[in-house]
Amino acid sequence: MRIQDLSSFNAVKEAGLAKLLPYKPRIGVGMGTCGTGNGAEGVYHAFVEEIDRRGLDVQVARVGCFGYCAQEPLVNVWLPGRPLVILRRVQPDNVPPILDDLYLGRIPAELALCKIEDWDHLTGQVKYGSGFPEIPSWREVPFFRGQKKIVLRNCGLISADDIEEYIAVGGYQALYKVLIDGTPELAIEQIKASKLRGRGGAGYPTGLKWEMLRKAKGDKKYIICNADEGDPGAYMNRNEIESDPHALLEGMIIGGFLMGAQNGIIYVRAEYPLAVHRLARAVEQAKEYGLLGENILGRGFNFEIQIVEGAGAFVCGEETALISSLEGRAGRPRPRPPFPAQKGLYGCPTNINNVETWYNIAPIVAKGPAWFSETGSTKSAGTKVFSLVGKVKNTGLVEMPLGTPLKTFVYDVGEGAFNGKQVKAVQTGGPSGGCIPQEMFDTPVDYETLAKLGSIMGSGGMVVMDEDNCMVDVARYFIEFTHSESCGKCVPCRVGLDKGLRILKNFTNGKGVEEDLEALDELGRMIRDMSLCGLGQTAPNPVLTTMRHFRHEFEDHIRAKRCRAGVCENLALSPCENSCPLHMNIPRFLELYKEGNIEEAFESVIMDNPLAASTGRVCQHPCDDRCRRMNIDESVNIRDVHRFIADTIYDSDKYPALMDRICARKQTATGKTVAVVGAGPTGLTSAFYLALLGHNVTVYESNPAAGGMLRYALPEYRLPKNVLDKELELIERVGVKFIFNTAVGFDVSLNDLDSNYDAVFLAIGTWKEAWVYMPGTELKGVMPALLFLEAVSKGEEVHLGKKVVVIGGGNAAIDSARTALRMGSEVTVVYRRERKDMPAIVEETEAAEAEGANFVFLAAPHRVVGFHGVVKAIEVVKTKLGEFDASGRRKPVPTDEIQVLKCDTVILAVGEKVDMDFAKASGLILKEVGTVEVDRFSLETSRTKFYAGGDVISGASNVSNAMGYGKKAARNIDERLLGYKRTGVLSKKYEYDQTPPTQPSEVGRQVPGHLPARQRAASFEEVSVGLTACEALEEANRCLRCDIRTTER
Amino acid sequence: MPQKIAIRIDGEYVEAREGQTILEVARGGGKYIPTLCHLDGLTAAGSCRLCVVEVSGVGRLMPACTTAVQDGMSVTTNTEKLARYRRMAVELLFTERNHYCAICVSNGHCELQSMATRLGVSHVRYPYAYPRLPVDVSHEKYVLDHNRCILCTRCVRVCAELEGAHVWDIASRGVQSILVSDLQQPWGKSKNCTSCGKCVQACPTGALAEKGWAVEEMTKTQDNISRLASRRGVHA
Repeated sequence: MRIQDLSSFNAVKEAGLAKLLPYKPRIGVGMGTCGTGNGAEGVYHAFVEEIDRRGLDVQVARVGCFGYCAQEPLVNVWLPGRPLVILRRVQPDNVPPILDDLYLGRIPAELALCKIEDWDHLTGQVKYGSGFPEIPSWREVPFFRGQKKIVLRNCGLISADDIEEYIAVGGYQALYKVLIDGTPELAIEQIKASKLRGRGGAGYPTGLKWEMLRKAKGDKKYIICNADEGDPGAYMNRNEIESDPHALLEGMIIGGFLMGAQNGIIYVRAEYPLAVHRLARAVEQAKEYGLLGENILGRGFNFEIQIVEGAGAFVCGEETALISSLEGRAGRPRPRPPFPAQKGLYGCPTNINNVETWYNIAPIVAKGPAWFSETGSTKSAGTKVFSLVGKVKNTGLVEMPLGTPLKTFVYDVGEGAFNGKQVKAVQTGGPSGGCIPQEMFDTPVDYETLAKLGSIMGSGGMVVMDEDNCMVDVARYFIEFTHSESCGKCVPCRVGLDKGLRILKNFTNGKGVEEDLEALDELGRMIRDMSLCGLGQTAPNPVLTTMRHFRHEFEDHIRAKRCRAGVCENLALSPCENSCPLHMNIPRFLELYKEGNIEEAFESVIMDNPLAASTGRVCQHPCDDRCRRMNIDESVNIRDVHRFIADTIYDSDKYPALMDRICARKQTATGKTVAVVGAGPTGLTSAFYLALLGHNVTVYESNPAAGGMLRYALPEYRLPKNVLDKELELIERVGVKFIFNTAVGFDVSLNDLDSNYDAVFLAIGTWKEAWVYMPGTELKGVMPALLFLEAVSKGEEVHLGKKVVVIGGGNAAIDSARTALRMGSEVTVVYRRERKDMPAIVEETEAAEAEGANFVFLAAPHRVVGFHGVVKAIEVVKTKLGEFDASGRRKPVPTDEIQVLKCDTVILAVGEKVDMDFAKASGLILKEVGTVEVDRFSLETSRTKFYAGGDVISGASNVSNAMGYGKKAARNIDERLLGYKRTGVLSKKYEYDQTPPTQPSEVGRQVPGHLPARQRAASFEEVSVGLTACEALEEANRCLRCDIRTTER
Repeated sequence: MPQKIAIRIDGEYVEAREGQTILEVARGGGKYIPTLCHLDGLTAAGSCRLCVVEVSGVGRLMPACTTAVQDGMSVTTNTEKLARYRRMAVELLFTERNHYCAICVSNGHCELQSMATRLGVSHVRYPYAYPRLPVDVSHEKYVLDHNRCILCTRCVRVCAELEGAHVWDIASRGVQSILVSDLQQPWGKSKNCTSCGKCVQACPTGALAEKGWAVEEMTKTQDNISRLASRRGVHA
């Protein structure tokens, strides 16, 4: 029915409203590509069939996507007079219970996401109803908080292919207004005044562009909509078209009228079949209703819209290439000037705008430019739709005012990293954009500010990346894309991107060289400055920004041949080996043990990790976090297997023979001497390898025995000292000499060491407890954790009260808590953040709780209260979590609430620092935090011949990291002493099966037996009894052998 | 007669007329701007990017062969950065395909070689691709060796615009781009080729050559092309 006047317009509007708000219940199934991809078709049909079967009077409609793609399929449910409720993750078997509930006027609570009581479509208003107080309003859902739906005003609410519903919410009214006013120049002034900028990426002022076309001379003018959305990860335009195609048509018809054109073309990529289909339907309907074709709305204006599908070239998103493509030529850009407004399609004046730009037109006409420019920032008015994807909890389409800071998207809308990882960067603007590192998340998102950081806002893609993303690989990925999409016309882009890709592939394959970094940087700038079109001009952005903000990752790949994220497969043996700071060949020892060869397995383990039994008990197991087995059930319990192997050998009579075997690998004496300062894990590890390499090693230790924190901080129940002693036997056997009770800096000076040794390795750790500066710490009963643990391990007398409060959330805090419990006290642990933020190993915290420790979270120490100089209580102030800080965690902010905890002992375990006094006279350069500064790769300090490693350079860390430094230092010191690099001299060839398992083992993860909680809290007996032989075998069988490659590396 | 305007090139005033390109004006005034894909008499392609110059007040580098002059424009044709970029562009060309001067008919008479010498290209720092590319000897009189082609499209334009046969065009995209005759048939089987040989003369390297020459023997001249173009009123 053709709309030719106001009354017919209103009649259609009424008809549409009767469908949108019928007298009966209405169900709208979200059927964009995201919904359909998650089974929405099935849900739709389930509703239709079930309703038919039950003979119910319920309307079912296909709506578009409301934006929260992670929760698809979304289903709208409306009972007359009540709010519209949006249900999430609806599957066909949810349908009967939903209908049951609806019949009773209820909404299924577990499926309800949010409700909408009334909605402003900007061109009209809809009131749904009130009620359901238990369901949150859509604005209260974190994903939607702060969003302002201008472009997405109708998406997910109205039917996706019914023009009457579009008209019901005020659609085509803006067009009518413009046609009736009949003042195109004035209307274009309005568009200019709104400060709307093109949403395709370049951000050119739309009003100015329209004015240019209006003024251009020519009989035939063209209006084009660029719907070629080619950026990987961007799907805003797709959703806009699939959910609300008429808004695009209206925008274009208005544009045609204002600019004096009668022909519109929508160039949509063929890879969007649903969008093409919905558009075609919309055009058909628009024609039918008199909104396209001749004499539109009876106002004498003619306008045709043609839909043309692309042929699969990203470069055709560039306007001159798009025009070439429309003309039937190869999609290659042309030099500009002349611009399309002067000479475009078939030589005629042409205006091209992105889909999203067109969607902003009707609201600006309806509500005026002042309303529009109120939103956004000064230079960038309005909103932008972003596709928030990647490693974030909530993914989907987000429409925010321009100028919103990046952190709002990641932490508020997205609710932070998914899977508890650390967010590292956000890639904005697709392959033309750049990576913004986490430290710069305060940056507001708009055209100008992102450009300053080397990125662009582009089409609005936002890919969130975490610690498992390799930034070198990200750069390679984007160059691979732009390189394959380059049209090939100009030299810098065609050949430059090819060479850039080769260089990046070399980096990820371990073939990178230092000079390539400089060459790649220069090449990137040349391509950016010299290319013919936007593709080439922006293609280097991902590379230039990652090299600028993540240079250390490139250096790791080139100098150390390591990919910390574990992505570049050719740089590691397997994900577990890669994440282990000692780079243990884990698949090898698991296989050897599996084959029954426990002696070889032990040799493999101990040559990679000389403290295998100790670390087997206390390592924080980074291997677990990357083990691929977790994609089937849970990671392999690697730590407990190498513990078992070491324990078994130590307890057997095979140990002496194996010690001999290992000593036989010792290299010829080099005649060089090395002094190692500190017999902690770092020092012990470096000494072990240096001795095996043939050097004369002496370890200086201030304590009476070796072990460092393993002996003097870790409690007996976690690591029995006799286990540590067994491991030390081997280290002594390979020839390491120890000088105990000698503190360097006091009993012997660094200068002495300098004169007497060929190299010195400082591994003194962090033995100074950080202090909490608050009133009352001078009272008797307040003690630092390290002092407490050290005293207990030395068997000294400790004055511990009956009610102990431990401040802190790390391993030292938990160790102190569990030790105090064993000494008969009541323990409360006070931590200023939440449980999930605690740095302590999860199993330790859970064990502490099982043993009876109390936990108070979100509380920070305020002051200690005493009586006659003795601790009586501690006041803690409740905190709440505020903004995200540089570590990616929410910063605890004190509130006004104070809680009093009665106690007689306060143990401070808030962190360990380097003892600065020692370092002061050393001539070593220190960093601001007090750690010794070293070259990241060689571990050499500012003083020649002096190396440093472990906590003294990294700050308080954990045992395996410390040992990793020791191993690295040994390698570097060896190179220095000999003058050349030796590799593989200590390795041996093992014979073991090289075929991967055909079927993964069905057994789940083996957990070692533990002493029952009540029993163990009474003694210092070792808590974890370890795996049995059977369990260890099962565990070794679970390994998927990621180290085996079938093709050449 | 188009309007006379004043522009400055490297600080000096040069006579110009509206509608001319920066390159035309520069050449008219005796100023050198390097080009490879440009050929007098053919429409400008702007694809080799060697002719990019700095224009005061414009944020990006502009190709002199396609940019029209404007009154008051100030152009800088050579800076340290431009010189570096141009050298890099030539290096990229050398490493794209297989340019073995020692066995080429155009050795000593090659525009790519001369450009490298002129710009001071002494070494190449990018990895060579060594693509496997064919040689088309099917034509009776001429040879097309893809290994030497720099995709400048001078042959495409001369055949389409001057001869009117449009035998040549570029197929595929990116580094997969390749010169094809007719609908990707062997040159010898082309129905449109008139064997006029203009493409051979237009080609700056030894990619298109006449049969019968040995190494270093092939010289080319573009005089015919310019003459024909001016007689037909087709100017650059």
